[in-house]
Amino acid sequence: MSEQGIGSRERSELQPARAQADWLRRLSSPGLRPFLVFAVVLAGLALVDAGGGRILTGVTVFSTLQSSSTFGLVALGLGLTMVIGEFDLSVSGVFGLGGCVAVLYGNDSAAFGIACALGVGVAFGVVQGLIVTRFAIGSVPVTLGGLLTANGLAYVLTTNRTLSFDNIDLALALNETIAGIFSIRSLVTIAFFAIAVFIYAATRIGRDLIATGSNRRAALVSGVGVGRIVVSSFAFSSTMSALGGALLSYSLASASPAGLADVLVPAITAAILGGVSLAGGVGNPLGLAAGVITLSLLRSGFNALGVPPYVNDVASGLILFAVAIADAPYLLRRLMAATAWLRRA
Amino acid sequence: MLDVEHLAKSYGPIKALRDVSLSLAAGEVRAVCGENGAGKSTLMRVLMGVSRPDAGTIRLDGGAVSIDSPQQAQRLGIALVAQELSLAPDLSILDNIWLGNRAVPLFHRRKEFRRRAAEALTLLGVDYGLDTPVSRLTMGQRQIVEIARMLVRDARILILDEPTATLSDVEIERMMSTLRSLRTQGKGVLYVTHRLGEVFEICDSVTVLRNGANVGSAAVGQIDRARLIALMLGRSFTDMYPAAAAEGACDRGLEIRDLHIPGSVARLSLIAPRGRITCIAGQVGAGASAVTRAVAGLVPSATGTVLLDGTPLQLGSLSQRVRRNIAFVSEDRAAEGIFNRSVLENLVASRVTDHASCGFVSWPSLRRFAAQLCAEVTVDRGRLGAQAFDLSGGNQQKLLFARALGGSKPGVILINEPTRGVDVGARAEIYRLLREFCQRGYVLLMTSSDLEEVVGISDTVLTLYRGEIVSTYQHSRIDMTDILADITHPVTTKAA
Amino acid sequence: MTVGETPSAGRGITRLRLRPPSRLFLVRIVVMFVLAGIALATPSFLSAPSLTTLLTTISFVGCLAAAMTFITISGNIMSFALGAAAAVSAMVFVVVLNAAGYATAVIAALAAGAAVTAAQGCLVGFLRTNPIIVSIAANVLIYGVAQRVTNNETVQIGDAFLHSLLKGKVFEAPVEFIVFLAVIALGQAVLSLTVFGRNLFYVGSGLRAAETIGLPTVRTTIGAYLWAGLFAAVTGILLASRFHQANMEFALRYDYDAIAAVLVGGTAIQGGNGSMLRTLVGVAAVSTIQVVLLLYGFREEWRLFITGLIVVAVVILYSSRQRQ
Repeated sequence: MSEQGIGSRERSELQPARAQADWLRRLSSPGLRPFLVFAVVLAGLALVDAGGGRILTGVTVFSTLQSSSTFGLVALGLGLTMVIGEFDLSVSGVFGLGGCVAVLYGNDSAAFGIACALGVGVAFGVVQGLIVTRFAIGSVPVTLGGLLTANGLAYVLTTNRTLSFDNIDLALALNETIAGIFSIRSLVTIAFFAIAVFIYAATRIGRDLIATGSNRRAALVSGVGVGRIVVSSFAFSSTMSALGGALLSYSLASASPAGLADVLVPAITAAILGGVSLAGGVGNPLGLAAGVITLSLLRSGFNALGVPPYVNDVASGLILFAVAIADAPYLLRRLMAATAWLRRA
Repeated sequence: MLDVEHLAKSYGPIKALRDVSLSLAAGEVRAVCGENGAGKSTLMRVLMGVSRPDAGTIRLDGGAVSIDSPQQAQRLGIALVAQELSLAPDLSILDNIWLGNRAVPLFHRRKEFRRRAAEALTLLGVDYGLDTPVSRLTMGQRQIVEIARMLVRDARILILDEPTATLSDVEIERMMSTLRSLRTQGKGVLYVTHRLGEVFEICDSVTVLRNGANVGSAAVGQIDRARLIALMLGRSFTDMYPAAAAEGACDRGLEIRDLHIPGSVARLSLIAPRGRITCIAGQVGAGASAVTRAVAGLVPSATGTVLLDGTPLQLGSLSQRVRRNIAFVSEDRAAEGIFNRSVLENLVASRVTDHASCGFVSWPSLRRFAAQLCAEVTVDRGRLGAQAFDLSGGNQQKLLFARALGGSKPGVILINEPTRGVDVGARAEIYRLLREFCQRGYVLLMTSSDLEEVVGISDTVLTLYRGEIVSTYQHSRIDMTDILADITHPVTTKAA
Repeated sequence: MTVGETPSAGRGITRLRLRPPSRLFLVRIVVMFVLAGIALATPSFLSAPSLTTLLTTISFVGCLAAAMTFITISGNIMSFALGAAAAVSAMVFVVVLNAAGYATAVIAALAAGAAVTAAQGCLVGFLRTNPIIVSIAANVLIYGVAQRVTNNETVQIGDAFLHSLLKGKVFEAPVEFIVFLAVIALGQAVLSLTVFGRNLFYVGSGLRAAETIGLPTVRTTIGAYLWAGLFAAVTGILLASRFHQANMEFALRYDYDAIAAVLVGGTAIQGGNGSMLRTLVGVAAVSTIQVVLLLYGFREEWRLFITGLIVVAVVILYSSRQRQ
């Protein structure tokens, strides 16, 4: 078996008699699914609210967008690595490291701090990408090492302390409401998503990414610069994570090597909700955006409804289980076997 | 247009190409024939810039060229349509046609590219929707898309590697007309194939490779089938295959009644007696391999009756298979047969519980058993500790055959494509082994798309077309022309 | 030519088959010797407190690494939920210990760890869901539910007698280390000597091939997760015994250390190959390096960083061994 990321492909050239599953397949098709899920979540929350006026408000929109800004960029980057058939496990480490670096070197000039964070992100991504391509190793062990290294580096640089950021004005400005629902942080996130959507749809890059994940050998043989794509994707993923971490740290005016937020779980959940296939070759930034918004809406909605915090974790876990099951390679054949058995009984 | 002179290439001690010369003119379709291991793949790799030759010259339009990389080959106008297609299933036809093409700028959604893609498809005689995802196409359609991709790269020389191996007859027809239109456009085509019928149908000339050398080239009109086979095999046809079983009565063995596999096989009945090699011949997609898989218990949706020595065998589940010594050798042994473990562990894989008590394994017992199996399939005992994937293709097949041994009674060996990925020298050994199993009373049910093999090794041949048996041929009445006719264009259902 | 994972390398019952060692094997031997040399040369390495710390750390991470080994060999890469299982077991152990005594507590803890992990195994085994995603989901779910159930409290062991028992030593080595060695021995015996062990390697090295010949792939996968859960539970019990208490923060980052140890030991991440002995070596190597660094004055914060670099280096080194 040769696995690059964490998923596996079960290809079949046969055309089995799948008529009955066709409508189900089209309904859950990766293109449509993110928006469907968003609608379901919104409807569900509104229902539970039962007219209490807590969900469909500007405050909820604002907090949704804020929450999205925390892990949204990470989801974008991680999702991209999943589309090309790899998996960047190091995102939460680089996220924390980006925050620490930004605060460490940004006390005098926030721009310089951000630049340092971005530099670190790019470096991590490029190195990981090069190791993956040059030595033909799967991305999971490499990015696992990257995660430990990035996390460890954060501890080393901060000497195991939580740092505080002096530029309180910036911190406040980053989170100030703009037009009632946005903030600088969320606008930056939206901007990057918009750029990603544009590049994906309008340029050749989007096709090459999908080709790399869909059939890497074919892409290579056809002349697609697969090595460049892999390295760039890891670089992009790490840069986005570092940027996200830096923005969060600035807005909270502090940085901690342990990370200020757990981003891996929401990022993966959002990516899968956003229609990215674990096997690679499927996914796009617009769907990712929908996935991120959906997950954030869920959290903000729960908050607004006054639900205790553990419900968030339980809900996230259940959602991940649900998508893992929905994507399970053997699901269909087990269902068919079960129905056949029932029919015979 | 293309001249290859005295090409040589070795991989370590293995001389893949010894002295190969051929030429290709514009508008010519030249067949390249040869058995597995004759050097066809290496020749293609050299022409595509994947491998560098050790000696020899390649000339394009008279001038010598050095093909250093696939990108270089692309620039020179040489294109390969390999058996494993280079298409990304998640992209549309349009995107696949332009995949990796240097001419495509960053912002690519231009009418220009759509137009040229549509043009290429029309030239090939098809009109697929450009935005259809390739995952929805059949193999034959995908091949056309692949060829279209070559056309928009202004390929002048196309190398097609076994293009019809996995096509239905309708698609084969389409492929033939595609080749004709390529010819009229002045492209040169190297058509690598086993299928002698197609050589005579569509090709202008043929070059035969054997053991890495060019053993003969001729215009198609000046050579006949027998001579072609003789050139390919380098020996008389019959030397490869051991003597067939004597005719006469024999034990019933395996009986299949009214086998139905939705989507593949309609209502199939056959008898595969003990001591005989029974072969189901059919093109890919006709359902032959599904039959053996169903008997092996791997097709949950199969219905019907299967009896072994009169006792029923349950379809749709794998129970009793090991106990009744039924072994299945898949056509894809890397995925469905061989484990990435040692030879010993591969040999004993299905019978570990027989050499264990209370859940604990007895290693001495296992090693003795493995050594015994090794001897029976003539694999060197010293290789028991080697990784199975390091063995040659032929030896790997023998490991899988060995899984049918070791029971009390002779069992059943179900094989799809017994010599796929097995080089020339080892094939005769495989055939001898199969015949030996037969003589010990095994049932041998096999399928093969290699008609030479089918005719050479079988005692009984059943021809299959679209999931239905066309006719049955016994012993001396087995004839290649009849079989070929049956599996491609059956006219009437003949009595056996 | 490699000294591969053949029965000859097993539990010594069979003849040792000697084959020319591969270059990689020689590199590993050399590195181990160099490491041992550095360690022994380090001042105060052999002192009692430093050795005790080392052996204790090895025991905790090692038991979890042994658990992880089962999952990796089965072809399911890794699990992010073993630390959570250990924490759950630790809490169950303490709660039941206070209520019903030692033996019952051990059984309850083992059952809890095994159940929580085997449930994941059922999903992975039956539906072949992505094992990493399942483990992440389980991790989140476990911590979420635990929040609700425990309110983030710590539970204390009440009985003072047990304090002294569990702090004891056997042959100058801490009790945990002996337990860890027993765990390794048990795990290795299961891998080398049982039918289940054989099936595990078959399933990990070729799932479809295993299905084709009718091996019990679902049961084997669930079994792998079951054993992983049991060994994770042992980790939890050891932790609770050492610290006389339990809370859900236990073993929080252990998953990463565990998979690092498995990788450093040389078990292939794709599955179908590996052994407990390799994991033992991996845990020992990683922990030794960490302790040596500590003794040389590197502060605690360097630990994770160095571990990360080691993992990357080892992964690159072993990449030449993978089949193309």
